[in-house]
Amino acid sequence: LEDCAHIRVSTPIVRLGDPVTASCTINQTCSSLGPESQIVWKLEAELQPGGKQQHLPNGAQESTITLPHLNHPRALLSCCLLWRGSLQILDQAELQAGYPPVVPSNLSCLMNLTTNSLFCQWEPGPDSYLSTSFTLKSFKSRENCQTPMGSIPDCMAEDRQSHCSIPRKHLQLYQYMGIWVQAKNALGTSKSSQLCLSPIDVVKLEPPTLGALYPSPRKDPPQPECLQLHWETWKPSLYMEQKCELRHQPQLGEAHWTVVSPLPSTVPGYELCGLLPSTVYILQIRCIRWPLPGYWSNWSPILKLVTG
Amino acid sequence: TAPLALALDLPQNFLLKCLEQVRKIQADSTALQEKLCATHRLCHPEELVLLGHSLGIPQARLSRCSSQTLQLMGCLDQLHRGLFLYQGLLQALAGVSPELAPTVDLLHLDIADFATNIWQQMEDLGVDPAVKPTQGTMPTFTSAFQRRAGGVLVASNLQSFLEGAYRALHYLAEA
Repeated sequence: LEDCAHIRVSTPIVRLGDPVTASCTINQTCSSLGPESQIVWKLEAELQPGGKQQHLPNGAQESTITLPHLNHPRALLSCCLLWRGSLQILDQAELQAGYPPVVPSNLSCLMNLTTNSLFCQWEPGPDSYLSTSFTLKSFKSRENCQTPMGSIPDCMAEDRQSHCSIPRKHLQLYQYMGIWVQAKNALGTSKSSQLCLSPIDVVKLEPPTLGALYPSPRKDPPQPECLQLHWETWKPSLYMEQKCELRHQPQLGEAHWTVVSPLPSTVPGYELCGLLPSTVYILQIRCIRWPLPGYWSNWSPILKLVTG
Repeated sequence: TAPLALALDLPQNFLLKCLEQVRKIQADSTALQEKLCATHRLCHPEELVLLGHSLGIPQARLSRCSSQTLQLMGCLDQLHRGLFLYQGLLQALAGVSPELAPTVDLLHLDIADFATNIWQQMEDLGVDPAVKPTQGTMPTFTSAFQRRAGGVLVASNLQSFLEGAYRALHYLAEA
């Protein structure tokens, strides 16, 4: 069954505010089409004047319209016919308007030893009003990331997400890789600046497990201004040399953190002294890969202890 | 020149990374040994010596890495060849079992990373052999049991290899 009418649009996706030209052809077979049938355009619910109508040799009629400024990110353009006093919609086309993708910024990556993947995130920039795909692109390289030495599969961010994780099997933890983000929509492509990193050097650890050490009865009683602690490295990072820092503060009005650093990453027993007796203290610890590069872990959950 | 002087050609960062990579691979290998023991009761390589002979599992030598006779470039070359050999052995273990596959894959990736790190350093020093090593004949494991037993033997040999590598790298890092 031949279409009753058909809309053709010059470019269905334009920059916001740009003109759009469309034409609608109504076939003679479309019911009893009188010679003076008038084709009417509507954009969303508004009638659009200015359609130029002409008869085609095959008896069909065609109307062409140019909308000077498309200011709707999404709009339905309807081709209608005034028929027996009512407006009949014969075809519709979806118009889209927006902007080319802005250059993604603030690209940063962390090597996650739990998921064993390189997690990268970026700022997508203002909304382009168009469906925009973000792809994390990277290549294996030597120190300065000038010359690609091996390809790495693209990491396609999920819809509306501005992060992506490259799985371990595509990574060489101790080699350099150039990495950037490409944003792409119907109106263009943009590319972030490139990072040059080796995944293991952007590792972010999990904090160790911090706990209290309860003095055994046989030993001397704990000193009132000391606390007995122990902590244990986060297991997936056992193979890494690390340094840690402990912070503590009394739970009193205007208290401030005191930081003890550097500390090793595993300590079976640690005595923290110089504290106020009979006082509640909150303590936390964090670690970082060291002397090789890495990022500080988050602070461990708060440990609350009372001095003697 | 004496090995210690040669050690000065090696960036400290390279040695620290290598030491870290050895520890990481040791942890991966221990994980594999623990799983083989827990899942298949194959806990002692010494129970598989006879089978090992029949399978013909090659071992990597580190003769030029011992502290008495350390030849730096020869040691790096032997390290790389050994790592390359273990990549081949792990590939020969492919299909060992679904539970072990992720552990074997991770071990393979980490060994490959370490081999690349060593090779790039040899390139930087201009002592990389003209031709990259090629894989010799690998054992053929004809049954699931042989692959698991082979896994125990390969992991055990790898641990010995890594201990030798760690000693040499530590010696160089302290130089």
